[in-house]
Amino acid sequence: MAGIRIENVRKSFGVLEVLKGFSLDVADGEFVVLVGPSGCGKSTMLKILAGLDDATSGQILIGDREVTDVAPGDRDVAMVFQNYALYPHLTVARNMGFGLKMRGMARAEIDRRVLEAAKILDVEHLLDRRPKQLSGGQRQRVALGRAIVREPQAFLMDEPLSNLDAKLRVHMRAEIGALHKRLGVTTIYVTHDQIEAMTMADRIVIMRDGAIQQIADPDTMFQHPANLFVAGFIGSPGMNFMRSTVTMGANGPQLRLFGQDVPVDRPIANLAGKPVIVGLRPEHFATGAGAVRFTVTPRLIESLGSEKYLYIDVPEENRGAVATRGGEDDHRGDSIIARIMDVGAIPQSAAITLSFDPARLYLFDAETHVTIAG
Amino acid sequence: MTRRRLNIVLIYAGVVLTCAILLFPIYWLVVTALSKPIDLRVLPPNFWPEVPQWQVFGKVLGDRPLLLWLGNSTLAAAGAVTLSMSVSIFAGYSLSRFRVRGGQSLGLFILTAKMLPATLLVIPLFGIFRSVGLVGSLWSVILAQATLIVPFTTWMLKGYFDTIPRELEQAAMVDGCSPLGALFRVILPVATPGLAATCLYGFVLSWSEYAYARTFLTSAQGNWTANLGLTTMKGEYVSDWNEISAAAIMVAIPVLLIYLFLERYLVSGLTAGAEK
Ligand SMILES: Nc1ncnc2c1ncn2[C@@H]1O[C@H](COP(=O)(O)OP(=O)(O)O)[C@@H](O)[C@H]1O
Ligand SMILES: [Mg+2]
Repeated sequence: MAGIRIENVRKSFGVLEVLKGFSLDVADGEFVVLVGPSGCGKSTMLKILAGLDDATSGQILIGDREVTDVAPGDRDVAMVFQNYALYPHLTVARNMGFGLKMRGMARAEIDRRVLEAAKILDVEHLLDRRPKQLSGGQRQRVALGRAIVREPQAFLMDEPLSNLDAKLRVHMRAEIGALHKRLGVTTIYVTHDQIEAMTMADRIVIMRDGAIQQIADPDTMFQHPANLFVAGFIGSPGMNFMRSTVTMGANGPQLRLFGQDVPVDRPIANLAGKPVIVGLRPEHFATGAGAVRFTVTPRLIESLGSEKYLYIDVPEENRGAVATRGGEDDHRGDSIIARIMDVGAIPQSAAITLSFDPARLYLFDAETHVTIAG
Repeated sequence: MTRRRLNIVLIYAGVVLTCAILLFPIYWLVVTALSKPIDLRVLPPNFWPEVPQWQVFGKVLGDRPLLLWLGNSTLAAAGAVTLSMSVSIFAGYSLSRFRVRGGQSLGLFILTAKMLPATLLVIPLFGIFRSVGLVGSLWSVILAQATLIVPFTTWMLKGYFDTIPRELEQAAMVDGCSPLGALFRVILPVATPGLAATCLYGFVLSWSEYAYARTFLTSAQGNWTANLGLTTMKGEYVSDWNEISAAAIMVAIPVLLIYLFLERYLVSGLTAGAEK
């Protein structure tokens, strides 16, 4: 096992710059998740780590060894692919033992290790089968098994769960987590699914268009997003965004929201007269009493049983802040979602009073989309 | 309901008609081979000889070195296919996997070789082979046919390799293979049906080739291929059509046998990528 150090890696395909200076230090035994919308360069970064692709510039260190120009097979990492990439012409046992055989390990030792890994992953009874004869979940386990028999310095996983159905995905998520606890091998895990990132990661690296947006543990990422993109990407449903202008009231700075002047206790007096983007998470709305109250008629109410989603029209003056989540443009410029827990029936098309605490508001620069500190 | 039934009837009619058109020449070849020469001139023709003349096969084998010709054809085809495959595997794999500047145009350029008629290439090839003393040798046919076969097999293999996910060789390389090791240990074994289909196709191309054999081998009787030998059976004044037909059947049989043996592979080879 070893830590991994990525230093200012850049990658271009022709004129397209896919990685714009990627630097990351992964501690020994850490589980780091690279997350971001599809096409942001996650797989490219992982392939460069594995040696399957060359960086245009930059360095990779595994342990203390510089491996930038080392062949994939000599980097001592194992990779798990989205489509599993099991060798169709080999049995499960031979699939799992292939890497060891390539390293010239003795037959008996290979068999011992394969059996041990098969026991851990509960695929012992499948060892003589071909990949074609396995279910999706079983293939996934064999792919993991092929990685763990190698006892490598690090695991690299590229969206390993996205070919599974939702239920199995949740199950395997927990199982990969347990496997990581048990083996303690440094893991870099790629996904476009923020829930996978939040549930599995020691640390999350969130990417967009080849650039790292923020590196933080899941809770920090959720509570202190570095910018509007991170704020919108992490959390489900995503954060609501509204446009507003900072004004100076009698008691300090205030923002105009839902037709009221909302005082905000932040050091933003210098922004007076400037537009900002205001963020508020759906779960930070409540029904009834609260610091700031407003009455609306929801456009639509969705009930999920334990919680309800209220779709609320944004007042004209607050419109125009568009969030980009999960790769697809989520044009919620004119509507926001309030997520209300444990309430009784709310009649459709009737006025309702909602409230929120201005301390929960996030403020972003209208131009740069960077979080305004405070 | 009736509409569906009508469709089925039309489909069957189509299948029967197609089969009839495809099979009639073969059927007529058999009829011709088994008839007495004299019966071939009657009108209206007989659709099956009264007494099938099975001994014609023995007679042809006795009169002509047909087995030698078949052997030569087999050698030429095996040589041409081996040569073509050893080139095409690498060429097809590169075209499928590596993006190099001009790679696509290079791939298309290979195809132009197959647009040129063999008769156009035959003269320069003859010149080349004469200068290196290969005229009359089976090698001339092997080399010349390889130039015909390589474009086809390269593109067939490229198409087949395209259906194999890149992650397979990436996995192999992470597991410790060199790029060539990944090709030989993983990609080629996985591509077996495609390789078989491609070999067979090349074999048939070589087996049915005539222009090169005719040009390079005519003066060397011992090296005649079956196709070339067959045409020499047609005399200037008289032709024994029953004997020619019998010989033609025997020349066709090896290819039919290979088809039968490889059918399983062929079907999966030609439909590769349809499932996944
Ligand atoms: N071999 C390649 N040639 C050209 N562009 C590529 C190649 N591989 C990836 N790209 C481009 O690089 C970008 C990042 O791709 P990728 O790393 O696969 O994204 P992700 O895994 O985050 O979805 C995409 O825009 C993709 O089209
Ligand atoms: Mg990807």
